[in-house]
Amino acid sequence: MATFPRTSEDPASYDLTDPADQNAFAALLQKRARRHRRLQQLRIGLVWVALFVILAIAFSFLQLDLGYIGDNASFILLGLGVTLGVSLLSIALATLIALLGALGRLSPHPLLQGLSGFYVSLFRGTPLLVQIFIIYLGLPQIGQRISELGYPWLGTLLILTALQSGVLALSLNYGAYMTEIFRAGIQSVQPGQRQAASALGMSSLQTLRLVVLPQAIKLIVPAIGNQFIAMQKDSSLVSVMGVWEITYRANRFARKDSKYMEMFLLAAVIYWVLTIVSEWLLERLEKKLAESDGR
Amino acid sequence: MKLRTQLFVSLLAILLAACTVPAAAPVGDPPAASEPAADLLAQIRERGKLIISTDPAYPPQSELVANVEPPAETRCTGDERPANQFTGFDIDTATEIARQLGVEACFVTPDWTLITAGNWAGRWDLSVGSMTITPERMQHLSFTQPYYTTPAAFFVHQDNDTFAQPADLAGATIGVCAGCTYEAYLDGSLAIPGETIDFVVANAAVSGYETDVPALEDLALGDGVRLAAVLTALPTGLGYIADGGPLKQLGEPVYFEYLAAAIDKSAPQDTATLRAAVTEAIQALHAEGTLAKLSEKYYGTDLTGAAATFDLSQLDH
Repeated sequence: MATFPRTSEDPASYDLTDPADQNAFAALLQKRARRHRRLQQLRIGLVWVALFVILAIAFSFLQLDLGYIGDNASFILLGLGVTLGVSLLSIALATLIALLGALGRLSPHPLLQGLSGFYVSLFRGTPLLVQIFIIYLGLPQIGQRISELGYPWLGTLLILTALQSGVLALSLNYGAYMTEIFRAGIQSVQPGQRQAASALGMSSLQTLRLVVLPQAIKLIVPAIGNQFIAMQKDSSLVSVMGVWEITYRANRFARKDSKYMEMFLLAAVIYWVLTIVSEWLLERLEKKLAESDGR
Repeated sequence: MKLRTQLFVSLLAILLAACTVPAAAPVGDPPAASEPAADLLAQIRERGKLIISTDPAYPPQSELVANVEPPAETRCTGDERPANQFTGFDIDTATEIARQLGVEACFVTPDWTLITAGNWAGRWDLSVGSMTITPERMQHLSFTQPYYTTPAAFFVHQDNDTFAQPADLAGATIGVCAGCTYEAYLDGSLAIPGETIDFVVANAAVSGYETDVPALEDLALGDGVRLAAVLTALPTGLGYIADGGPLKQLGEPVYFEYLAAAIDKSAPQDTATLRAAVTEAIQALHAEGTLAKLSEKYYGTDLTGAAATFDLSQLDH
């Protein structure tokens, strides 16, 4: 019988009938698993480094003017605030729209179902860029007719600035995709949960707020995060209306000195870093939400 | 279920009522529709700024200037930007027009497509964007006195000595950008508002290219190797020669495309006085030689001559 915890690497040296040895053996297995994970991460990291080097070599063939990028990076970076602001505001509005849309889709009422289904079909079925053009260019024309019919307050409401048009188009477009995400999230909550809530005398609003949504949100949040990352890049489409975000600045500045690759690569790096930071923040959020599952 | 339906119908009714009530008792803004439309020029003078659209994607007409602080005192707000954030022929011309009107020039930067589409909804007052006057654009926009032109000229290989003037090119193979006005000129279908065009080249064999430069490059291969001549914008051809292209200009320009400032026809305000004032300003800038000087500065040659004598009244019938 051993009087001290064994630390041998040889599994055969453990006496598994002895409780102390059992614990020591478990510790050995955990240590091996940890070592394996670390090694795996190191290997993946090496693959990243190798791919990065290959990418760098490929781009070195472009003969980029690195000094030019350094001199003008600050001008492009000024667009970061606009890109982030537009994306954050739009994802917030889209989340709200998606919640209402999903409730509409799941409602037994034919009008609400029809309304929500029509909205999702229309905004998922047409390109975002076309929606931006129609909202920016078309809405004011409808507004003008409405003004002529004697409702100038409503007509003026339909004349949106470039920024407003962009946020509206992004919110409506992403709201349509996210309606489906919310619907799936809400439907994934066990029916028994609703039945239990109503047995406790909760109203349908209480059930939704206190029972269904808290469980659905955990499934929805990673998907919203994914949409947010996609939106950071799609927000570049608002540049057509002359909003000075990252892509607009890069594109228009590039024409000045014909330094397209320099400016577009700089923009690409800014977007990439932005999404890496977003991914990291989302991962933390997901971990936090998952904490309650451990209970 | 019945209760819910009732609730829903009454909600809809309230919504409908909300839309109709203000007709009787308008809230917020006074009804503008019943009053005569406000005068845009008066509004511009009152606010002290002329809002001009420009797409800074077209050097040397309009391009960005990086890292310049806006002037301490500017009326430009929101997404409007003061003139010092840009440089170019259009920008300087627009600034001079605003100066003639006694107001500050502020620029907004929508995409070129949105500018030419018209229906600006009062978002900006004027386009100063080297816009060619065409019948299609005149459906949505009204043009002012042109401030310069794009002359269309023939270019031949420098070794050529058989062609002395454009008319000698009859029956020759001529390169143009496909779908451009140059192609329309060669097939005799070109119509430019306010201009009588003399089609001097008969029976040309038209060879279409994606853009002008590949045509010039094919011509540079040698006299008659692929092309006998190219019809293109005078600045484009001269620029190619300045970069070492072995070509020469053949005779005088055969027609001019007039480039003018434009105003939205469907603007919510009355724009007639603004159009007259901008035309007057451009005529003054022609007369005092400001535009010719700017043209020399940005294009290295005076492209404003024909624009000064353009008869704007011809556009109106």
